[in-house]
Amino acid sequence: MGKIEWAMWANEQALAAGLILLTGGIVGVAGLFRGWEFAAYSIAAGVFVCLLEYPRGKKNKGTSVERTGQYCFTVCVKAFGPLTRNYYVRAFIHAAIAVPAGFMLATVLGCVCLGIASLIYLGAAIRGEQWEPILPRTETRKAVGESIKQPPQNPPPRPPAEMRRKRAEDLEGAAYDNPIKVTANEE
Amino acid sequence: MVLSFKSWVANEGGKHFVLILWLGANTWLFLRTFLTYSTGQQYYYLYKMLGLGLCISRASASVLNLNCSLVLLPMCRSLLTCLRGTHTLSSRGTRRLLDKSKTFHVACGIAICIFSVVHVSAHLVNVVNFSAFFSEDLPALNLARYLGEDPRMIILTTVPGITGVLLVVILFLMFTASSYCIRLSNYEIFWYTHNLFIVFYIILMVHMVGGALKYQTNVDTHPPGCLRPNQSSPELQGEELEPGNEERRCKEEARFHPHYPQTWMWVSGPLCLYCAERFYRYIRSSDPVTIVTVIRHPSEVIEVRMLKRDFKAHPGQYIVLNCPGVSSFENHPFTLTTCPTEEKETFGVHMRVVGDWTERFTELLLPKTGVELEILPMVQQRRYPKLYVDGPFGSSSQEVFNYEVSLCVAGGIGVTPFACVLHALLDGWKQFRLRRLYFVWVCRELQSFYWFSELLCALHHKLWQENRPDYLNLKLFVSQTEDLQSMSEEKYRPLSSRLSIGRPRWKLLFDEISNANRQKHVGVFCCGPKGISRTLHKLCNSGRYTGVTFEFNKESFS
Repeated sequence: MGKIEWAMWANEQALAAGLILLTGGIVGVAGLFRGWEFAAYSIAAGVFVCLLEYPRGKKNKGTSVERTGQYCFTVCVKAFGPLTRNYYVRAFIHAAIAVPAGFMLATVLGCVCLGIASLIYLGAAIRGEQWEPILPRTETRKAVGESIKQPPQNPPPRPPAEMRRKRAEDLEGAAYDNPIKVTANEE
Repeated sequence: MVLSFKSWVANEGGKHFVLILWLGANTWLFLRTFLTYSTGQQYYYLYKMLGLGLCISRASASVLNLNCSLVLLPMCRSLLTCLRGTHTLSSRGTRRLLDKSKTFHVACGIAICIFSVVHVSAHLVNVVNFSAFFSEDLPALNLARYLGEDPRMIILTTVPGITGVLLVVILFLMFTASSYCIRLSNYEIFWYTHNLFIVFYIILMVHMVGGALKYQTNVDTHPPGCLRPNQSSPELQGEELEPGNEERRCKEEARFHPHYPQTWMWVSGPLCLYCAERFYRYIRSSDPVTIVTVIRHPSEVIEVRMLKRDFKAHPGQYIVLNCPGVSSFENHPFTLTTCPTEEKETFGVHMRVVGDWTERFTELLLPKTGVELEILPMVQQRRYPKLYVDGPFGSSSQEVFNYEVSLCVAGGIGVTPFACVLHALLDGWKQFRLRRLYFVWVCRELQSFYWFSELLCALHHKLWQENRPDYLNLKLFVSQTEDLQSMSEEKYRPLSSRLSIGRPRWKLLFDEISNANRQKHVGVFCCGPKGISRTLHKLCNSGRYTGVTFEFNKESFS
């Protein structure tokens, strides 16, 4: 019960697969084994996949946990718009990247892992998930001391001093109505 | 903050000792296997063909054997609960090590992943060497069928190769689903992939069938490096053969035999133990419980009281609930807030309604508030959903009674283990070693304190009546400072007079405790947000309080 977000798992898998591709590629090039050109390709592919998958997407509900330092990656990935937002495109890209790595022994594992990640992305895309960037919320600065209401803009509604001075001879005329009620706060 | 050696050893010493033992065992096993394969006479020819890859792959395999057997043991929760309760582990220090069982499981898991990477890389190099150094002289030793066979074909057509690929795929799935983020948000993915472990172990036990690596059986009659009858020694070319050289002639051809699969010897014991434990837990939880009462508390908390046959628990333990009406496969842990006693057999949990499982469960238990119900002429019996309980399982809060002085810090709903402790004290406090309890409860809202206000007041009154006013030291804190709040009821006077607005100041609290309890070991128990528990842990490790040792125990779920 509860909606499972498959894309998050696919993201972890793709990141791990990118690292495996990178390691396998380095080993393949360092040993200059047969088919080392595929190893060189998979180094580049591994780096690309890691960069694409490093920023975590936003969860639909609940708090999202960011990876450290992912803000600049988020901005770059967000710039590609629907290409990176849509998971069908990601599934296809990962499947396409994985294929050439399968031709060399050192990178074959990276190919298999990336293929699995691509399948799970496909599943996530079918369920309608999308990649939302985690952006820092623009904090509205809390006004200092919210209990202090707006200071009054105008002086109290008293008539000038001459009028206020109680004229003993004309008590009726000295009375005035306050335009604003000054009774106790009823709230 | 200055770390005092004595405090650090009291708090962290046990864990680090076990860590060093484990690392030592792994290192010793790795080096011993490495040296066997690089210098052993029976592996001479194999080593010549494969080189270092042989030694590294076999050494990492033995480390993997060890870790695959150790990784299951910390997860036998019922067994650990039993160990905690009985006096087999009489030392408090050893019982504290059981709190870290999940951490040990994670350490073994990470070691399995790292050494799998090493093992796979070394074996890939071996496969390339098997193909490139195909030997005509020693045909029995070869894994490849001909010189220069494609290494990928070798992998896909041998049992170790295929099982190896499957094992890596399963390990990849398990590892990627175990990150903190996934466990927090989509626990089901983690749980279902982790249950693939049984497939992993079965495949692991057949991984060595087929015998890719062979050792020489007749080292005495065919000393490695001896000269064949029609072969002459390269350095004696052109010189006469001396009589002593006859010993260097081979008496017969080298014979090879594949290794007997060894993994099952390491792994079968813990695997059987874990499967027996899961079976026992399944049988124990198959008896449904009877829900006796459901009470709604303020701040989105409900209390459920239940009854189950033959259910015994100690304060501080937790149970796992499963409600098929909500979700057949989800299991959620909750700490017990009341344990069954001789007088009262019901036990209860308090649960905070946050998240879809608890919301749906509450809907099934209680009618929706705000809905106008017709007053029916007859009493309608409440039909509660079926509920299964697995447990109880032990946790670190059980140790509260075993210290002379204890400090219990609870944050919000984290008060539940300590509520059970307080209930137990209400029934009788004289039989425990505990002589003084400092209870600090921090909540966001004042309403939360009403969950246990009656319990706290009852215990307070009882202790004052029995002339032990210093036994329970209560401090309540409301962390949201916006509105002025106070508990106005007269019967909750003991609580309102001990209520403070704002967050607690831990250093002052620790100063107060250390001044009043010199030369004592104080057990610090924390069940709350990470910020509080980190601060308390640091304070316990610092050496500011001469004469008093604070031992930190953290409650952690799952």
